[in-house]
Amino acid sequence: MKIIIVGAGEVGYNIASRLASENKQVVVIEKNPELARVLFEDLDVQVIEGSGSSPATLTRAGIQETAILLAVTDSDEINLTACLVTNLLSPSTKKLARIRNTDFDAYHEAFKNQIPYIDTIINPEIEVVKTIRRLVDIPQALDAGDFADGKVRYTGIRIDAASVMAGMCLNDFQERFGESRPLIAAIIRKNEVIVPRGDDCIFPGDLVYFVSHADQIHDTLKIFGIQVKPIQSALIVGGGRIGARLAGQMEKDGIKTRLIEASKTRCLELAEQMDNTVVLHGDGSDQKLFLEENLNQIDAVISVTDDDETNVLVSLLAKNLGVENTVTRIGKSSYYPFLTTIGIEKVVSPRLSAVSSILQNVRQGKVLSDISIFGERGEFIQAIALETSDITDRPLKTIDVPKGALLVCIIRNGNIIIPTGESVVTPGDQIIVFAVKQAIKKMEKLLTVKLEFF
Amino acid sequence: MRWRYISGIISLFLLVLALIMAIPLLMSIVFKDGAHVSFMWSMVTTAAAGLLLKLLSRHMDEDARFINQKEGMAVVALSWTAIGVFGALPFYFSPDFSSVTDAVFESISGFTTTGSSVMTNIEAASPSLLFWRSLIQWLGGMGIIVLSLAILPFLGVGGIQLYKAEVPSPVPDKLSPRLSDSAKILWMVYAGLTLLLAILLAIGGMSVFESICHALTTLPTGGFSPKNSSIAHYDSAYFDYVMVVFMVLAGINFSLHFQMLRGKPLAFFKDTECKIFLGLALLFTLAITLDLYGSVYDSFAAAVRYASFQAVSILTTTGYATADYELFPGLSQVILFACMFMGASAGSTGGGMKIARLIVCCKFAYRELFRLIHPRNVRHVKLNRMKVSEDVLRSIMGFLALYLFLFVAASAVMAAMGLDLVTASGAVASCLGNIGPGFGTVGPAENFAHLPAMAKWVLAWCMLLGRLEIYTVIILVVPEFWK
Repeated sequence: MKIIIVGAGEVGYNIASRLASENKQVVVIEKNPELARVLFEDLDVQVIEGSGSSPATLTRAGIQETAILLAVTDSDEINLTACLVTNLLSPSTKKLARIRNTDFDAYHEAFKNQIPYIDTIINPEIEVVKTIRRLVDIPQALDAGDFADGKVRYTGIRIDAASVMAGMCLNDFQERFGESRPLIAAIIRKNEVIVPRGDDCIFPGDLVYFVSHADQIHDTLKIFGIQVKPIQSALIVGGGRIGARLAGQMEKDGIKTRLIEASKTRCLELAEQMDNTVVLHGDGSDQKLFLEENLNQIDAVISVTDDDETNVLVSLLAKNLGVENTVTRIGKSSYYPFLTTIGIEKVVSPRLSAVSSILQNVRQGKVLSDISIFGERGEFIQAIALETSDITDRPLKTIDVPKGALLVCIIRNGNIIIPTGESVVTPGDQIIVFAVKQAIKKMEKLLTVKLEFF
Repeated sequence: MRWRYISGIISLFLLVLALIMAIPLLMSIVFKDGAHVSFMWSMVTTAAAGLLLKLLSRHMDEDARFINQKEGMAVVALSWTAIGVFGALPFYFSPDFSSVTDAVFESISGFTTTGSSVMTNIEAASPSLLFWRSLIQWLGGMGIIVLSLAILPFLGVGGIQLYKAEVPSPVPDKLSPRLSDSAKILWMVYAGLTLLLAILLAIGGMSVFESICHALTTLPTGGFSPKNSSIAHYDSAYFDYVMVVFMVLAGINFSLHFQMLRGKPLAFFKDTECKIFLGLALLFTLAITLDLYGSVYDSFAAAVRYASFQAVSILTTTGYATADYELFPGLSQVILFACMFMGASAGSTGGGMKIARLIVCCKFAYRELFRLIHPRNVRHVKLNRMKVSEDVLRSIMGFLALYLFLFVAASAVMAAMGLDLVTASGAVASCLGNIGPGFGTVGPAENFAHLPAMAKWVLAWCMLLGRLEIYTVIILVVPEFWK
C-alpha cells in the first residue's frame, strides 16, 4: 500500500511519521531541500524534492501505483492542483486535501462530485474552533474532546489541594458518590500516565481525565467540586480565520466578544462581518491596550494569531493580569513539552488537529476513531465490539484487561452506558477504550481490531 | 554517543555472522574435508562474542531507537572491523594460515571485496574454506548491514544512517519508500544475477563448486578464485567473455538493474554515469587492444580477449586475471593503473572513487574555468539533468582530496617499510580501490604473502577505508568525534 504525501510541513511530517511507523510505503514530496533532507534522515520514507502540483514530480513519485494522495501543504491552491493533476494521471487514486480558506466552504461538495473528485476535504479550523469552545466554556478544563458525534466527552482537569477529590482513592468513590460516581480514565502525575485501578488515589496537582455524557458534564463537574459559571465576556487576539470563526460563534451565543487584530485592513473586513463583536485595532502583546480595555474584568482570553511567540506572550500577560481562563494556539509541536512549565496549559493546534482528522479518515476496519492525549502517550480508541473478540458476552470484571488499559464507555443503540464490573458488552456495541502507549498492542489483540491505516 | 546501545546493534551483526558460518560448516561435514572443527570453533567464538556484547549492551525503548549520523557511522565502521576480525577465525583455525595478521588480511580483503590474497597455494586448501572465502566477498559486496536491514526489520528508523554509511554512493537513494524493501530489492537483484552467472559457468563446463565460487566473487567485484592462477586456469574464451559481461553488470548501479527489471529496458542508456562507465570500458579495451596487438599477441582476437578482460576486471575493481599485465607495454599499464582509481559506478558493488564522483569533479572544474571567463555566470553542476547540491559537491570534492591524500600517505608508509615505489603505490592503489592485484611484487602473478606484517595491517585499513568510502572509517580517528 503506497501513500503519497504532498508537503512536509508540520502536518505532512507528523502524518508521514505515524504512517511510516506502521510500515506503510510513504513517499513525501517537498519543495524545500532543507525540510526534505530532515525528513529523509528522520523517517523511513522516500522523499522527492519538487513541487507536488507538478505532473512530472507526481509521476516520479509513482502516482500510478499509489492508493491515496494526501495533499497537505499550507497552500490551498497547491493542494487543489495536486488533486487535479492526480485525477488526470491516476483516477483510481483516492485523494484527500487540506483546504482552509472559508471561501471554499460552499464548494466542498462540488469538489467531491465533480472534477477533481476529491474524496475527503479536511478543514481543521472548524474542529479547532469547536475545541476552543469546549475549553473556554469550562474554565477548569485543560483538555477536552468528543466521541460518538459529540454524545460522549472526555475532560481533563487539574485537581488542587482544596478539591474534595484530593487524597481520595478510587475505592472510596462508590461509598461517597454512589451511582453517579465519575469514571476516571487516566491520571497524569509528573509526566506519567496512570490508568487507575481501585487502589489508586488522587493527589493535588494531578491532571485527571474523566469521561461523561456530554450533557451531564456539569453534574460530573459538581462532584469534583467545580461550579461552572458560563462565561460572559471574552477577548480574542488575532483576527485570522480561526479568530473570525470563533468570534462569529461567540457573538451568536450572546458572549460579549472583543477581537484584537494588528492589520488595519483586516480590521475593516472583520468589522463588516461582525455584528456585536468589538473589533479593536492593535498589537495583542501591547500591555497598554489590555489595560485600556479593562482586561482584568474579562472571563477568557483566547490568543490565536499566526505567531506562536505572540500567543504565548498574550496568555502570560493575561494570566499576570488575573485572567486564568486562557487558550493558546501553538503551531510548533516541539514547544509542547515546555508549555506546562511556564503555566500555559490550555493549548490548541490546528496543525495537530489536522493530523488527527486526516488519520481518522484513513483508519481502516472496525476502529472508528482514536484520539491521542498528552503527547501521544495515551489514546482513546473507539471501536466496534466484534463477536470474535474476548470482551463480548461476559461481565467486564471477568475479563483480563491488559495493564494500562480501561474500558470507559459502551454505546448501544445510541444510548451511552458508563460501565461497571457487572456490565456486559454485546457484539455490535461501540466501545471506547483508554490505553497507555505500551498497552495499545495488547488492547488491539483483545479487541481483535488492528489500529492500522487503510 | 550511546555506546551500550551501539554495542547492542553490533552484537546483532556478529550473531548474523555466526549464523552464516553454519553454511560452510554444513558443507565441510557433507564434503568430509576435515575443516568442520575450525568452523565449529569459529562459530562458537563469534556467537559467544556476540552474546557477551549483547549482555553488556542496553536495550532502548522505541522512542530512543533513532540513530544519528555520528552513531550510524560508528556502528558501521566498528561492525565492519568486528566482522572482518571474526570472519578471519575460520582462516586462523585452518592449517593454511600461520599468523593472525594473514588471517585478518585475507578476511578483510574478502569482506571489502578487494581480493588481494596471502595464500600461496590456494588449491591445497579445503573446499569449505575456499567457499567461505568466496562467501564473505559475496556478503561484503552488497553489504552485510544492508542484508541485515532486509531480513531483520529491527532498525527501522535509524536504519537510514547505516544504509547511508554502507552503500557506496555519494547520494544513496532508496528504491522503495521503505528501507527494508529497498534492501530486499537490492539483495534479490544481486542474488538473481549471481545465480544466473553460476548457471552460465556450469553450462560452459566448469565444476558446480567452482561455478558457484566464481559467481559469488564476480558479482561483488571481489576477485577471489579457488584456482591458483585465477581465471587463466581455464584458458577458455567462453568463460572470459561471460565473466566480462557479468563484471560490467556488477559495475553498474543496482538501481538501474531494478529499473530495467521493472520494464524500462533503456534505463542503462538514459543514465549519464552508466553511459560513461560503458564508454570508458570500451575505450580502454580498444586502447589496450591496439597496444597489445603485434607487441604481445599476434592474433587480433587474442588481443581483444585479453585486453577486454584485464580492462574490465580492473575498472570494475574485480581483480581477476587472465594475463600478467606487468608484461604489457607501458601505455596499457598506465591505463590499468588509472582504472584502479576510477572504479565502477556509484551504487554498484565496485570500489574506487566511482565514475559519478569523477564526472561531477570534471564538471565542477569546468564550471570554475567557465566562471573565470564569465565572472557573473550563475550555473549548477548537473548530473542526469538534475542539480547536484552544493552540499553534495563539497562532500565529493572532500572525498577525492582525502582519497588522493590517503593514497600518497599510505604509499609513503609502505615505502618506509622497504618496498619499492611501484610495489608500494601499486599495493595501496589496489587496496584502497578494493581491486586485488597491484603492481611490482604484488602484481597479478604474485601475491601479498611476502609483505611485512605491518604493511598488511596498513593495507587492511586501506581496504576498509575504500569499501566504506573513507568518511565512515576515517571519522574514527578525528579527535572531535570522540568528544
